[in-house]
Parts: sequence; C-alpha cells; structure tokens
Amino acid sequence: MIETIPASRCPRCEMIVAPPAPYCPHHPVAMIPTTLPGAGVIVSFTTLHSPPEGFKSPLHIALIELERGARFVCHGAQTETRGLKLGATVAIEALDNVYYFSHLGALDRARLFWHRAGHAGDRVNAIARSLAKRAWKGMTRGGS
Amino acid sequence: MRDVWIAGAGMTRIGKRSERLQALMTEASLAALAVAGIEKPDAVVIATMNPEEFVGDGNFASNVATYMGFAEVPALRIETATSSGAAALYAGFAEVAAGLHRTVLVVGGEKMTHLSTPRVSEIIGRSIDAYERSYGATMPALAGLITRALMARHGVGLREISQVAVKNHAHAARNPYAHFREPVTIEAVMESRVVADPLRLLHCCPISDGAAAVVLTSERAAVRIAGIGQGTDTLAVRHRHELTSFRATQAAARAAFQMAGLGPERVDFAELHDAFAPFELIALEDIGLVPPGKSGGATLDGETAIDGRLPINPSGGLKARGHPLAATGIAQVVECVWQLLGRAEDRQVSGRVALAHSIGGLATNNWVTLLEAQ
Ligand SMILES: [Zn+2]
Repeated sequence: MIETIPASRCPRCEMIVAPPAPYCPHHPVAMIPTTLPGAGVIVSFTTLHSPPEGFKSPLHIALIELERGARFVCHGAQTETRGLKLGATVAIEALDNVYYFSHLGALDRARLFWHRAGHAGDRVNAIARSLAKRAWKGMTRGGS
Repeated sequence: MRDVWIAGAGMTRIGKRSERLQALMTEASLAALAVAGIEKPDAVVIATMNPEEFVGDGNFASNVATYMGFAEVPALRIETATSSGAAALYAGFAEVAAGLHRTVLVVGGEKMTHLSTPRVSEIIGRSIDAYERSYGATMPALAGLITRALMARHGVGLREISQVAVKNHAHAARNPYAHFREPVTIEAVMESRVVADPLRLLHCCPISDGAAAVVLTSERAAVRIAGIGQGTDTLAVRHRHELTSFRATQAAARAAFQMAGLGPERVDFAELHDAFAPFELIALEDIGLVPPGKSGGATLDGETAIDGRLPINPSGGLKARGHPLAATGIAQVVECVWQLLGRAEDRQVSGRVALAHSIGGLATNNWVTLLEAQ
C-alpha cells in the first residue's frame, strides 16, 4: 500500500507541512494534523560525497513535492538518482522510520491511479511493495 | 531619523590566522577607530556567530569589549547566523539614527580554522532546520539542491556558475586582505571535486578567520548609510515554494531601496553573498541589478567583472576574499567604503552608490545595505 506521511495543515492559509509542525510558519495558528500519500514529484536533489558524520557516502538528498503543495525532504536509494530528472514522479516509503524515494514503475503508477480514483488496489500494492523492499535490500543509512 | 555616517573602516587580513578571535576583532576595531580619529566610542555592537562552539567563550559582547579596553562602554552582541555582521551594522545604525549614541563601533569576527572541516561544517549546519539536518542536509547540500533547480529553470549552466568563481578569484588576487590570492581557471573550477552535486569544491567559499569593523557617527563624514533593509524567510527550505530566488533577499532589497529613495539602477558596484557561486547569480536577479534570467549571460560577458559595467565583488567576495561568518557582512561594507573613498588600490572601481548583500543561514535572515559617497 501507499505510505502515509504524517503532516499538518494551517486552518488560516491551508499550507501543509510534513512532518507536522505545531504552528504554521506564516501564522501564529496551531496546525491541524493530517496525512499525505507517499508519492510526489522531484523538485530537486543532490548527492553528497563527503556527508556529515553518521552518514554513508554517497548520500542522496531529495526535495519532493507531495500532494497539495507540501514539500518533503528524504533520501534516495543508492542506485536511484542516475538518470533522475526534475519533475519525475516518485514513490516515498519508510524503512525504519527513515523516508526514501524510488522511481515509479508501471505497477506503481497503476497503484497511484487507483489511489487517486479512490480504489485501493491491495493485491497490486502488496506486489509493488515487496518489489520495492527487494530493491532497497542491503541499502544502509547511518545517523539518525 | 538622523543621518548615519561611516567615519572609519578597518579589517584584518582574512585567512588562516593564529591570533585569538578577541585579538583579531581588536585589530579591526583599532584600525577603524584610528581612521575615525576616535579613541573610545559611545557604544559597541559585536557580531559573532558561534563563539561558544568555535572558541569556547560566552558572554561575548563583554568579553570582546573588555579585551580591547572598553569595559565601561555599553556593548551588545547581535546574531543572525552568517549575516550577523550586517545585522550588527543595523543595530549600530539604529542606535545612531535614534539619537541614542553619537558614535558606535560595529565589529564582527570569527575564528574557525583551528577546528577540523567536519566540525566547522557541523557547527555552521546548526543554523539549518533540524528535520532537514537529520537527513544529512548541510549548507553545501541545500545549496546543491538550489543549484540543480537553478540550472534547470533559468538555463544557467556549469560554465556560468563556474565563471563567478573565476571572476571573484581574479578580483581577490588584487586584494591584499583576501584569503586566496591565486587566480583559478574555469577548467580548474569545473573539474574540481564534487561536493554536493552539481556543486564543486571551487564553487564554495573557504573556512576563514578574520574580523572587520566600522565606526558609525551622527556627524557628517564621507560615506553615508543611505538605506538598510532586512528580509526573512522560513527556516526550513521545504517550507518555501521558490528554490531559485530568495524571498529574504528580495524583501531586504526592497526595504533598503525604499529607505534610500533610490532604485537598483543607481547602484555602481556591489558586494554580494557568494558563499556558493550560484548564489551571486540569484542575488543579482533578486536585488534587480540584472533582469530575470540574465545573470548567467551578464557574468559570462564580463559585465560583473572589476572592469565591467557593474563590478560585483571587487574584494573577491566570500568565495575568494574569504568568509569569516560574522565578519563578512561588515567586511563587505568596509570594501564598499574603501572603494567609495578611492582607497582600493589595485582593485579600484568607480562609483558613488555601493550595495552590500548578506545571507543569514540558508537565506532565512538576509540584509541589503546601500552606501553613498557624499
Ligand atoms: Zn498559515
């Protein structure tokens, strides 16, 4: 199934931030908890060859635009940024509470379509998820 | 509001320095006070970004004021991350403009080169949003994200970005105060090692020690602070909708131009915050010094070189003069004052209106200052 990312929404300006924040960055107003599906579009990404202490090199960091304009920072899997283009649609999944993005295959696109159409394609999702896990197997990330 | 004038300016040579931070800040202060012909100012404003972490001292306004013989002079410390020097200038400006003090010494400094690069990066990186830091985001990492987006959106290529570094190194080669005195070729920049793809080592400013100071006064002098503006933005880069322009710079420039009652077309030369070479291109457009989308071309065409239409960073900028954090915002103003007074020797440009632009954090707290020769 599609990852659910915890977020929060400002009742004043409707801005959504992920992960959730107590107050809107633009208004002194308490935000309301919400969630977003773990899929979006690559806004930008970078690769660090001398990452900070606790992270393995090379370290991929991406800025992803989720639904409703919320932007999210996560890692890319080791082999995933080669040929990656800005604007590409990617899936985000959590592994041990750390978020990673990956390219969307045909199955993923189908599953996204079903999600948006309001039908959960559970069986397909289960297959996609196991494929994703296999791709990520062996990938490690130090630090918090 | 009273007019505020700069009666004296001074700075240390920037680079790896063995002296204590207090000694560097005193050297810059005494140089500025000597030019102003003032032994003791009415007040002191001090800028340091992380003295607790870098040199292990706190209560730093009193620490520095006492060290240089101003134990009885009212002193305060201002901090807005990497733009702390510009923020301190604003505080000193406000004190004089409000009539609270007649002469104010503003001095900024930082001492970092005695620590390892990873340690310095980690300390500077604390100015970044904690969640983004937990994913390994450092200043170069976030600058890398911005650079990739910039290269996609404006058609700015590696060559345009690299030329900023080539130009600023060439300027610094003429500046005896600069950290780097050696010119670099565009090939060397483009082939230097990747730090945060697509940013390479020679696109990034060095870790530097140094200090800079100005003496502000309500009495007429040769250079006036015509305008000074602050602009802010969200701490987290993911909370912004724009990556390839900085709201904080745009707001600061608007405020500074409004106070000065003039527009960007009146600026003759500028010192811009090029901690990463592409940031100079972004600043040129955010401030309105070149039209949107034209900064890369203007740089390649030599318009922003020391002998061009609009010299940018005649000092060498953060890129090559060096970036001793809280000293930088004041060092930029010192360079502008020297240029306006015709005292910039081998790197002299001509002009009556100068602009200094300083970025705090990842463009969360930025400043634009306009200086006018009378
Ligand atoms: Zn809001």
